[in-house]
Amino acid sequence: MAQHVKVPTVGESITEVTIANWLKKDGEVVKMDEVIAELESDKATFELTAPQAGVLKIVKAKGEVVPIGAVICEIADGGAAPATSKPEAKPSESAAPKATGGIKEMKVPAVGESITEVTISTWLKKDGDFVKLDEVLAEVESDKATFELPAEATGILRIVAKEKTTLPIGGLICRIEITEGGATATSAPVPATTTTPSDKNYAVGHPSPAAAKILEEKGISTSQVSGTGVGGRITKEDATQAQPATSKAEPTKTPAAAPVMSSGGSRTKRTEKMTSLRKTIAKRLVSVKNETAMLTTFNEVDMKPVMDLRSRYKDKFKEKYGVGLGFMSFFTKAVCIALKEFPAVNAQINGDEIIYHDYCDVSIAVSTPRGLVVPVIRNAESLAFDQIEAEVVRLATKGRDGKLSIEEMQGGTFSITNGGVFGSMLSTPIINPPQSAILGMHNIVERAVVKDGQVVVRPIMYLALSYDHRIVDGRESVSFLVRVKELLEDPGRLILGI
Amino acid sequence: MQYKVTVIGSGPGGYVAAIRCAQLGLKTAIIEKYDTLGGTCLNVGCIPSKALLDSSEHFHNAAHTFQEHGIEINEPKANLAQMIKRKAGVVKANVDGIAFLMKKNKIDVYTGVGSFVDKNTLKISSKDGKETIITSEKVIIATGSKPTPLPFAPFDKKRIISSTEALELKEIPKHLIVIGGGVIGMELGSVYARIGSKVTVVEFLDNLIPTMDGTLGKELTKVAKKLGMDLFLGHKVTSVENKGKEVHVKAEPKNGGNAIELKGDYCLVSIGRRPYTDGLGLEKIGINLDRGKIPVDDHLKTKVDSIYAIGDVVRGAMLAHKAEEEGVMVAEQLAGQKPHINYNLIPGVVYTWPEVASVGFTEEQLKEQGRAYKVGNFPYKALGRARASMDLDGLVKILADKATDEILGVHIIGARAADMIAAGVTAMEFRASAEDVSRMSHAHPTYMEAVKEACLAATANRPIHL
Repeated sequence: MAQHVKVPTVGESITEVTIANWLKKDGEVVKMDEVIAELESDKATFELTAPQAGVLKIVKAKGEVVPIGAVICEIADGGAAPATSKPEAKPSESAAPKATGGIKEMKVPAVGESITEVTISTWLKKDGDFVKLDEVLAEVESDKATFELPAEATGILRIVAKEKTTLPIGGLICRIEITEGGATATSAPVPATTTTPSDKNYAVGHPSPAAAKILEEKGISTSQVSGTGVGGRITKEDATQAQPATSKAEPTKTPAAAPVMSSGGSRTKRTEKMTSLRKTIAKRLVSVKNETAMLTTFNEVDMKPVMDLRSRYKDKFKEKYGVGLGFMSFFTKAVCIALKEFPAVNAQINGDEIIYHDYCDVSIAVSTPRGLVVPVIRNAESLAFDQIEAEVVRLATKGRDGKLSIEEMQGGTFSITNGGVFGSMLSTPIINPPQSAILGMHNIVERAVVKDGQVVVRPIMYLALSYDHRIVDGRESVSFLVRVKELLEDPGRLILGI
Repeated sequence: MQYKVTVIGSGPGGYVAAIRCAQLGLKTAIIEKYDTLGGTCLNVGCIPSKALLDSSEHFHNAAHTFQEHGIEINEPKANLAQMIKRKAGVVKANVDGIAFLMKKNKIDVYTGVGSFVDKNTLKISSKDGKETIITSEKVIIATGSKPTPLPFAPFDKKRIISSTEALELKEIPKHLIVIGGGVIGMELGSVYARIGSKVTVVEFLDNLIPTMDGTLGKELTKVAKKLGMDLFLGHKVTSVENKGKEVHVKAEPKNGGNAIELKGDYCLVSIGRRPYTDGLGLEKIGINLDRGKIPVDDHLKTKVDSIYAIGDVVRGAMLAHKAEEEGVMVAEQLAGQKPHINYNLIPGVVYTWPEVASVGFTEEQLKEQGRAYKVGNFPYKALGRARASMDLDGLVKILADKATDEILGVHIIGARAADMIAAGVTAMEFRASAEDVSRMSHAHPTYMEAVKEACLAATANRPIHL
């Protein structure tokens, strides 16, 4: 039976890809998980792996532009094991090839469209350990998420990138020396096309003279480069394109040059390498400032009605739903209603077009030890208060544990950030691109306000809405914030939607 | 004048270093003691000896192979004076070429003996007694080497001669006694043997060209004997005496036996070369020699940070192309680059006829390392091209790792060996296996087919034409 291989969904805004290169020829026998082609989108190049072992039949030629979901090749099984008389339907590890001496090179997978590098946070296996296929080898951290690295083969682990090393996508993480009876990720019988019995792997990673010089000058060890030359040799081009794998330097204490007039106290400085998360944050924040017309509008909310409601029902709410009633659900609901009324605030610019969303995916900023992460509450407009609260707790917990997936952080249409938890009275939040607006919550302080001609003490929260003036007009943004204020000051409106 | 880099010595190490420095944008000066640039190699070494070797080879062919080829001439006569004159023309063209290259690269040339005043100041004393002072941020010492004399028989340059005089003889020696059967002795010995001299070689070790693979020494011994040379291997020279019109050499077998006495008209002492650092004033900058050589680190830097040394004055083989690589390496380092030299892959060549060339490990070295290896030999005799041109002496020997088939050594004796060894260097720089080379197309009919066949022999003992 032939399996159709379709262009996978590679990213939210990618609709079509170009076939950059076929790495396998038509009619060639491919192994499962073997890279068969390189696809190129407007954002990145990624590899297409064979979903099963078999004979490759190419449908779309190199250079063709194909939409997501289109069939680009077929893989017919049966031919997977021309050497064996009875190809097993599901080859198991016991039916594994005696491919001893084989080496599986594990490289940093493409984990998300905007991620260019990852850091090896922890090795769970030691160099030289015997590892099984799919066993978790290491925890790898990107600027967006932490994920686990499963073994792509059974065998002896040879670690190449040490802990705290930062590697580009495609960088070599480790090698697995496939052992007798061990299976590669394919588990499929290898076609009997092995040429010479001699071990050809001695030249893997051997640089050409020019490549050696380039790598030396870049400070890259040959073990960090995967050679594309014959037998895995490192060519000049490989060396030219190699990216230095920066090791997170231990914080080094550099004693400052002692000034003549020293007053006594310690004057040591500390230099630390920026984490990839910090670098990305820095890059993005500057680009938002540069590329949007961002400004902020303010308002204040009398929180008494919400607080009264909350104190009245919080025990019952907790009892019934198993989750506390916080302020987030009120704000999220209010925001969703306001977003429906002012769709520009919930829209985003994409080139020359504006994308309007008829749903509200609300990103909530969560502070974690690694830095700020922004998971998304999907279809917040259709969720009940308890569902929102539960979702906030779930995402915040995952965020703190560094377990959020990239999917959980992508695709929000509007953001809420709460600087109030740290005591902020007023601030101007920065838009979370490509979104167009962000609501900033602040601390609740009892202030003297005038109600019906009387000075009264009320719990007041200042609200800030930063928005991209390119797409949101002043009328819309101000009205949006006023609408949020109205909804919060009279929570009954939240139920009625008025 | 103030320079970024100053090179002392204009041999193949020095002038190449200077050119590379200039290419990299460093203001460069070069100091040469002699009137012509190019050092030993161009003036009294590689180039003139090859000029004479080729002349003698033509003569040898005229006298011995023309008839077989069907060319009838009167009995040829060797005109040594003309050979030396032609050689001088070759040398002049080459050294003029270097002078042009210095000019082209805007390198200032100072003629005179360069010596250190301090680590950044150099004094150049010219023959007419003039002294010039220049300063330089970095200095590259490339002063080369001189022939080593026998301790008991210094060069008198009349009967007891070094390679330098051997290139300028006024007459064809009747009997040339060569002490030292290494590269220089065998090259110059074979020049004179071919133009009619009786040549006797006395070598202390048991093999000719003893630093090279043993097979090559054995083959060269056969070829030398065919040429009519007398060889006394394993003999220790005890005395060399200039008797006016004759020179007497006494030697005895080192393992005991009867002493011999040889009488000839010239005695070429070619027992090696010593690093030349005279007059440099190294003591002024605190550099001490280690057995005559300037100690350097892996980056060819001396103990003084700004001073480097390359070529024959430092450790390693005394070869022009090794010095050139080192010159480039130091220049690029000074420009902030990080080049590297693979010393194991610097080829060694002997310009006898047939030529001898080799790269990588010798079989003796592999044995000593205890490494499991395979050998593939292929003789020139089985080669169509060699038969056509009557160059039937020689063989190609490939050493490969037993397990991986990686080529570990390439050793060639035979016509064009010196040119062919480049293919061995290329293969080994890329760590090719013997099978890799044997799967590459080699043009037919060429001498290089012997390399392919030897690789086939090394891969799985399956040469086609044997």
